[in-house]
Amino acid sequence: MTDAVPTNETILVVGAGISGVTAALEAAECGKDVVLVEKSPSVGGRVAQLYKYFPKMCRPLCGQEINQRRMDASRRLRLYTMAEIESVTGEAGNYDVSIRIRPRYVNENCTACGACADAVEAEIKNPHNLNLNAVKAAYIPYSMSYPQRYVLDPSIIGTDDAQKAKEACQYGAIELDMEEATVEIKAGAIIWATGWNPYDAAKIQPYGYDRYDNVITSLELERMMDPSGPTGGRILRPSDNREARSIAFIQCAGSRDQNHLSHCSRICCMASLKQSTYISEKYSIDSDATTTIYYIDIRTIDRLEDFQKRVQADEKVRFIKSKVANITEDRISGDVVLHGVNTEGYQRYDNQHDLAVLAIGMEPSVRAGAVGSGIAGDKSGFIQADANNGAIFGAGCAANALDVNRAVQSATAAALRAIQVVNGVAATEAGS
Amino acid sequence: MNDNNTAMIDKYRNSFLREVEDNVEQGEWVKMCMQCGVCSGSCPFGPHWEHPPQELFMMIRAGKRDAVLGTESMWMCTSCYNCVVRCPREIPITHIMHGLANYAHRLGLAPKVNPTRRFAKIFWDNISKNGRVNETSLSIKLYFMDGYSAGVKRAVEMANTGLGMFRTKRLNPLALISYKGIENPKQLQSMLKKAREIEGRRKGYPG
Amino acid sequence: MTDRKIATYICGGCGLGDRLDLNQLEEIARIENKSDIVRTHDFLCNSEGVSQIRKDIDDEQVTHVVIAACSRRAKTGAFAFDDIAFTRANLREGVIWVRPDSEDMRETTQDMADDYLRMAGAEIQYMQQPEVDRSEDSNKKILVVGGGMSGMTAAVEAARAGYRILLVEKRGRLGGTAASLWKRTPTREPFSDPEDTGAGELIALVEREPNIETFLNSAISRTSGAPGRFSVDISRESGGTRTENVGAIVQASGFTRFDAGILSEYSYPASADVVDQHELEELARSAGGGRIKRPSDGKEVASVVFIQCAGQRSEKEGHLPYCSGFCCNASIKQAMYFKDCDPGIDTNIIYTDLRTPGNGEDFYRSAQRKGVTFTKGSVDAVSPESDQLNVSFTDLILDEQTAVNVDLVVLATGQVPNSGVSIELEDAAEESDRNAKTPDADQTAEVPVDSILNLTYRQGPDLPHLRNGFSDSHFICFPYETRRTGIYACGPVRRPMDIAQAIDDATGAALKAIQAVENAALGRGAHPRSGDLSFPRYRKEGCTQCKRCTVECPFGAIDEDEQRYPLFNEARCRRCGTCMGACPVRVISFDNYSIDTVGQQLKAVDMPDEFDEKPRILILACENDAYPALDMAAHQRREYNQFVRVVPIRCLGSVNAVWVTDALNAGYDGVMLMGCKKGDDYQCHFVKGSDMAHDRMGKINDSLQQLQLETERVETYEIEITDVDRVVELINDYSRKINEIGMNPFKGF
Repeated sequence: MTDAVPTNETILVVGAGISGVTAALEAAECGKDVVLVEKSPSVGGRVAQLYKYFPKMCRPLCGQEINQRRMDASRRLRLYTMAEIESVTGEAGNYDVSIRIRPRYVNENCTACGACADAVEAEIKNPHNLNLNAVKAAYIPYSMSYPQRYVLDPSIIGTDDAQKAKEACQYGAIELDMEEATVEIKAGAIIWATGWNPYDAAKIQPYGYDRYDNVITSLELERMMDPSGPTGGRILRPSDNREARSIAFIQCAGSRDQNHLSHCSRICCMASLKQSTYISEKYSIDSDATTTIYYIDIRTIDRLEDFQKRVQADEKVRFIKSKVANITEDRISGDVVLHGVNTEGYQRYDNQHDLAVLAIGMEPSVRAGAVGSGIAGDKSGFIQADANNGAIFGAGCAANALDVNRAVQSATAAALRAIQVVNGVAATEAGS
Repeated sequence: MNDNNTAMIDKYRNSFLREVEDNVEQGEWVKMCMQCGVCSGSCPFGPHWEHPPQELFMMIRAGKRDAVLGTESMWMCTSCYNCVVRCPREIPITHIMHGLANYAHRLGLAPKVNPTRRFAKIFWDNISKNGRVNETSLSIKLYFMDGYSAGVKRAVEMANTGLGMFRTKRLNPLALISYKGIENPKQLQSMLKKAREIEGRRKGYPG
Repeated sequence: MTDRKIATYICGGCGLGDRLDLNQLEEIARIENKSDIVRTHDFLCNSEGVSQIRKDIDDEQVTHVVIAACSRRAKTGAFAFDDIAFTRANLREGVIWVRPDSEDMRETTQDMADDYLRMAGAEIQYMQQPEVDRSEDSNKKILVVGGGMSGMTAAVEAARAGYRILLVEKRGRLGGTAASLWKRTPTREPFSDPEDTGAGELIALVEREPNIETFLNSAISRTSGAPGRFSVDISRESGGTRTENVGAIVQASGFTRFDAGILSEYSYPASADVVDQHELEELARSAGGGRIKRPSDGKEVASVVFIQCAGQRSEKEGHLPYCSGFCCNASIKQAMYFKDCDPGIDTNIIYTDLRTPGNGEDFYRSAQRKGVTFTKGSVDAVSPESDQLNVSFTDLILDEQTAVNVDLVVLATGQVPNSGVSIELEDAAEESDRNAKTPDADQTAEVPVDSILNLTYRQGPDLPHLRNGFSDSHFICFPYETRRTGIYACGPVRRPMDIAQAIDDATGAALKAIQAVENAALGRGAHPRSGDLSFPRYRKEGCTQCKRCTVECPFGAIDEDEQRYPLFNEARCRRCGTCMGACPVRVISFDNYSIDTVGQQLKAVDMPDEFDEKPRILILACENDAYPALDMAAHQRREYNQFVRVVPIRCLGSVNAVWVTDALNAGYDGVMLMGCKKGDDYQCHFVKGSDMAHDRMGKINDSLQQLQLETERVETYEIEITDVDRVVELINDYSRKINEIGMNPFKGF
């Protein structure tokens, strides 16, 4: 971490998910000064909510540990959490950026001892677990949060709970009068790595996400699979907390659909295949858990093909080429009934499952138009490379529907594009 | 499935697809189908379709002209529009189904004993006669379309409903004797005749 | 070692002061650890505590610091000192947070803390702040191998950042495959029509760019050295070699076409009218936007079928098991060549899964709008029929066997990486050569593959291949991870891809090359130990030239000199310590990580005698996965056995057998080695550390048996970073097991 004052040779990176962290570190490790801005209280972003990565089935936190050590070791990186970009003015090589920082109510004295959380009684929905469970209103976002520092939810400010938290802290880390602050910085180039959001599943009306308890999204399932998640690694039906045995995956939930997202979100096929292996393995002792994947096309590109073949060989996983028409609920059992037609040879089905998982599509968290006026975007709002964008570069899932590997490639490329600009600034300043 | 009705030369070539595009209402959308099957699954009459919409679209691409135009399937469409609102490609499936039915009918290839088709014909004859639907005569025609005894039987079954409608002035038995349609039905009929001629000429329908 | 001045800072915060006897710790620091300065602070990580440390470094010339507080992973922002050697005794996550706060446990808890402080004291005695090995004459030029889209992009992008580039292309022209394409798939909104390839434009940029020197008709005949000082022979086809020095290398050697010759069921090459996608591009180029004519008789094509996945996604002999990913879009593009010229031409794409991710979906829709038809089906055969081709296939939607007659058939075949020599295959071939030579071996012998880089490295001439011959990274989070530091693959040699992806990939690789030359100049380590300034040294007089270090280095960093001594190329090194773990005579070490820094730690532990009923279990924990998992267990206040002593290590591969035998000799009752997942989907960021440790410990088992010690006294585990519950269970189970086995009989000897 650095104390250097940002200049026109500084690169600003917006978003500290894996793309933003990568772009920031790659640039910093080339000797550039970087300011990294993250909206939430911790770095990590979307991947920190993933239990495992396909196809290696490794843990996202493992790579995050390395990146956190790289951040520790970097003397060129400055991180602002709970911060958002308020405005950007200027031009390539010379931007003035205003960053708004929300109060954390906990300063750098925090030792992450957890006394405040013990003292506080109020609970809030746990955003890390997609609100599937609750967490104390003084909390650390997740096990590997970085910075490793607590945060107070604004809802308790002014209450007794806040006072209790303050009194419990022996280190003067809690500042209840902390206020929103604005920081003005200079930057030569800006990398926009604000990542993606799952498409609003409730908008896909025939699937009844907003009506039926046992229709969930793939991200919610991912949290359930995590042993440190809201269900301790068990796949529990929201309606009755019973372990789901027959699980249906609905591909292209929102994606490839002119009524919703016109693009293909790329990751969802592999995500469902990955989750199906978890189901097969998790319940392999009882061996009665089955997965059914309803799909239009299975899109497992390059060596991911191996993964598809592996899953197809698993007799507990069934593939049905069909976009599910609609879901109804069996009132008594709470089961979901999927209706549709297997288009390979025309077979109609009304299949009852314990749980339906929507392989939900990806849309940019911040649409290109919201990044700045005149920033080029495609019709889904992903940032497009364009000469008129100046030195504002999209990276990762802000720029396209990408898997982690490709997002990191994209972020690394964005880092170089930014470096080209700031090196140009440096050369001009050296010459003048 | 029988593949003999298509000459080798036309199979999977675009001749029938083009014919559909040229002659069927909204037929140019057929090629946009990606075979997801959401239409087929969404249809409330689905189980009664020999070939659901997405399959019909594939058959059109495969050049199965006789099988497509001769099937009862598209006559099953009740215009609920479930398929249209769910289609990820925004294909106006309902319209295409009616377009296909109409096209088959015009070519004389439609199945002869299909009830939906017969209802449609009775309805059309009725409305085009006076410019308005004469519900009384329409009901009678419908009841008796399968013969006298079947008509009596159906009328007895529906007697209570009919009486109710009569009491609430929804059904006028006098309309059987004299029904006042639009002011000048002859004019309407000649307009329809002309339109039909133009369409037939443009699309090359027989007679 | 002469000016060593040690300061120890003991924190009393976070309950340490309540739970531990800090005076006793101070005494240990002063007397046993021989610290020159010992200070206790009740809140060491606040600005006052940190500035005290800073002040001592500046005013008291402290050179070595021990911080006895929380885990080395905590408060890293506060405790960051670049100019001194420092270590941390983990009293919070390692002791008080994993032990119950009860009176009867107080003694063993204090024992733990005392030991961790002793261990830190022992470590700091043997630790040096690494000397910075800045190399003034480090070369910052970048060599790009391959002048296709990937190579040209890497060259132009790095040149634009101000770096000098040598661009070497085997052929007599730039542009690679892209230059022979008619169009490419669209990269911009509305993603509806084929685009200009951009190759011509990029060639012009390369030619205009003063920072790029291009070598055509040339190949790399020798590469030696390390990042910052590679020496490369660039040989012209016509003869003549130039030796150049470069700092880093981007390998963009692209792909070769899959040889469709084995697809005889599709009448390739028997029928001239069955072509692959490349041949269709040639036909399209010669048509120049006009009607494409079929090769056999020059008739204008009126109907064409595209067969997707031809020779791909197939387990058949000679086929490609993977999906090349670009070919669905490529066929869509090529179908548009026909449709855009005359909508009356029938174009049918027969596929099993149509794969157009991202905005490819727009392109797919656009093709349908243009009248390209798509059939989900699997093709059995293509055979000539009168003057056409009969394509016989199963329509998977209509569920029937059927056929179509067309003028032209295009096979969507895949990309085969041009990745040079496979080190793994070479090893396997050597092996099989030694074993059994079959009589017809010569017939089946493959054409020898030309190396791309001709590295003089001990471990083979090219980048190691990951799978299917591609030089890809094994890691999801780190696609530019390379097993040959300073050499980065990009484009289709790394993974099958289209032009747009190759451009992004090449830009990323260019950045990594820049980073490599900058790091080399500063003597800094690359990922994952970014910024590490240490590198391995060895004591030549002790070396027996056994070559284990050169063979086992996962990064090929160690060559052998003329006298067959190891030759360390520090800038290739990733500081994992595998060489140190491999060395049977223990002559390899790092300034800040050595046989002694760990060995002395484990010896520093106070070893109770046999009758105390206080066993000791040593845990050597990988710093990337197991150690964080233990930390997280502590955050959740999970309890584990009080008799374990944990030492973080860089990688299980760095574990030298001597640590284990020393531990047993010193009286430890058991040793747990915690590494990461091994095997095909290994998670070791130093590639094979965990695998090697399992191997080496297998050998230790023999020695244990000779000593009549139970093999259970040394166990190796695969731990993932999220195995928080499991790691605690493993420790507690192991402790129980040791209790059952009984104390180490060597205790006290």
